[in-house]
Amino acid sequence: MDWNNPWIFAGVKFIAINVAFVAVLMIVAYSVLAERRVLGFIQGRLGPNRVGPGGLLQPFADLLKFILKEDIIPDKSTRFVYFLAPVIAITTALMTIVVYPFGPTIHIPFTDWYVPLVVTRMDVGLLYVLGITSVGVYGIALAGWSSNNKYSLMGGLRSSAQLISYELSLGLALIGVILQSGTLDLYSIVERQSGWYGMHWNIFWLQPLGFLVYLISAIAETNRVPFDLPEAETELVAGFHTEYSAMKFALFFMAEYVNMLTVSMLATTLFLGGWNGPGVQTFPLLGVLYFLIKVIFFIFLYIWLRGTLPRFRFDQLMSFGWKFLLPVAILNIIITATLGWFGWI
Amino acid sequence: MVLSGWEAVFFWVFSIAALFTGLLMIMARNAVHSALFLISTLVSVAALFVLAGAEFVAGAQVLVYIGGVMVLFLFVIMLVNVGAEERGRGQLFNSSAQVTATALLGLLLAIGLVYAINQGVKGLNEPNRRSDEMAGQRTAEQQALPVSATGDMKITADTQRLGSSLYRYASLPFEIASLLLLVAIVGSVMLARTLKQEAAADDVDPEVLKEVVTTPEERAELESVSR
Repeated sequence: MDWNNPWIFAGVKFIAINVAFVAVLMIVAYSVLAERRVLGFIQGRLGPNRVGPGGLLQPFADLLKFILKEDIIPDKSTRFVYFLAPVIAITTALMTIVVYPFGPTIHIPFTDWYVPLVVTRMDVGLLYVLGITSVGVYGIALAGWSSNNKYSLMGGLRSSAQLISYELSLGLALIGVILQSGTLDLYSIVERQSGWYGMHWNIFWLQPLGFLVYLISAIAETNRVPFDLPEAETELVAGFHTEYSAMKFALFFMAEYVNMLTVSMLATTLFLGGWNGPGVQTFPLLGVLYFLIKVIFFIFLYIWLRGTLPRFRFDQLMSFGWKFLLPVAILNIIITATLGWFGWI
Repeated sequence: MVLSGWEAVFFWVFSIAALFTGLLMIMARNAVHSALFLISTLVSVAALFVLAGAEFVAGAQVLVYIGGVMVLFLFVIMLVNVGAEERGRGQLFNSSAQVTATALLGLLLAIGLVYAINQGVKGLNEPNRRSDEMAGQRTAEQQALPVSATGDMKITADTQRLGSSLYRYASLPFEIASLLLLVAIVGSVMLARTLKQEAAADDVDPEVLKEVVTTPEERAELESVSR
């Protein structure tokens, strides 16, 4: 394909971005439904099953409800920042989806076009993901501050402290993968994990410790149980989004699930071999299926954890992050660097 | 580097945005708004780094300054809830000595900046054969790099080059800077923690505390806590 023609370039990118956007939003809508159904199963009840066959149209009913509800703005809130916070939350959550490679390069039949299944390929893709997700904390912190409500402020402060603490462990857990791959480009990282019948995935080949640290700190980064202190409903009403209603609340809700999806996609890309799987070399489109299966596995893991684990106390959360997770992440870097120095990687 | 087309437009947009948000940061009366304007300045500067072709520096800027340092700033501002400066604009200019000192320092800074830019422009204008050769070589290298599959950009080794030169030629300053930060963290924790908090924490040995305490007032304070 002639990439130098700006119109072809812009058109292809436009289509790719829209496909990725719609796909992500659909997955998010159905992971909300899946969460409610699976939680229902775990707790021995049914969950929503009335709208459409088996409750399949429930996400759209929810959306309609959110749009039609009254939008209440607190009297003494800081108006502009109050509007800005959900926008930051959802924008930063959605911005990272463009760099994940969800399949290998495919050949479109009857033409000589080769299309790699990634919206944009960057030199510093991993750094881009980390940077954008670290900006996402502003959405929560500013929402808490601008609502002019003590529970919101407590939730916002807690989340800033939590996200900064766990971002360190998360970044350090990824250093091992970067050392092993020698690149920040996600597409190359996936390509390096192919072969050896799956034994070359980073989770098996020398990064199991890094994977564990990443998984735990990713749960903390997305404010999920057992680290959901910013919105602990038993202590803080609803945490940082206590004052938000209607579509603004829906944006925060959506941002949480998009974040859950993106950390699952990052875990798949970095540790589980991305789109690698049996038969990908001959049928490249199978790669998309493998990628989806792995991502859905992670989302299921999140829901499972939510159904089974109680919440941490705040001081436990902090001491766990700083005194256990961070040293383990540094140990992982030392192990990887030593192995690399002996040339065993 | 001469900018053309859309690059020039974006350059002007982001540099003007950086200047204006910097100005607004100083002028905002609410401390949280100041922090937000500073974040906008940093975002604009990161965009300028991208335009200059330094993607890694831009990413590090977003990750470290916007995602780390400024979140801590905002955290502290929200925690102590500063409200004193909101009272009125008149109070900002009430001390004439302060205003004079600031104006003088600003003038000195401006003179220094103009001098530095003049020197830099002179160096750029003088035909320097060696740097021309190096630039030509670098352009040729860039042209020879493979285009990435999606046609977005050329896959370069800039990040690797940055890392290896940072640790090969500047490893000592790098280590000194990190040591300095460590000392600052330990020092600030020590200054912020009162004797009472120290005694209440369960990770401090009481015998050690008794050795540290010297004045009678401190001893009395320590005893009141332990009882």
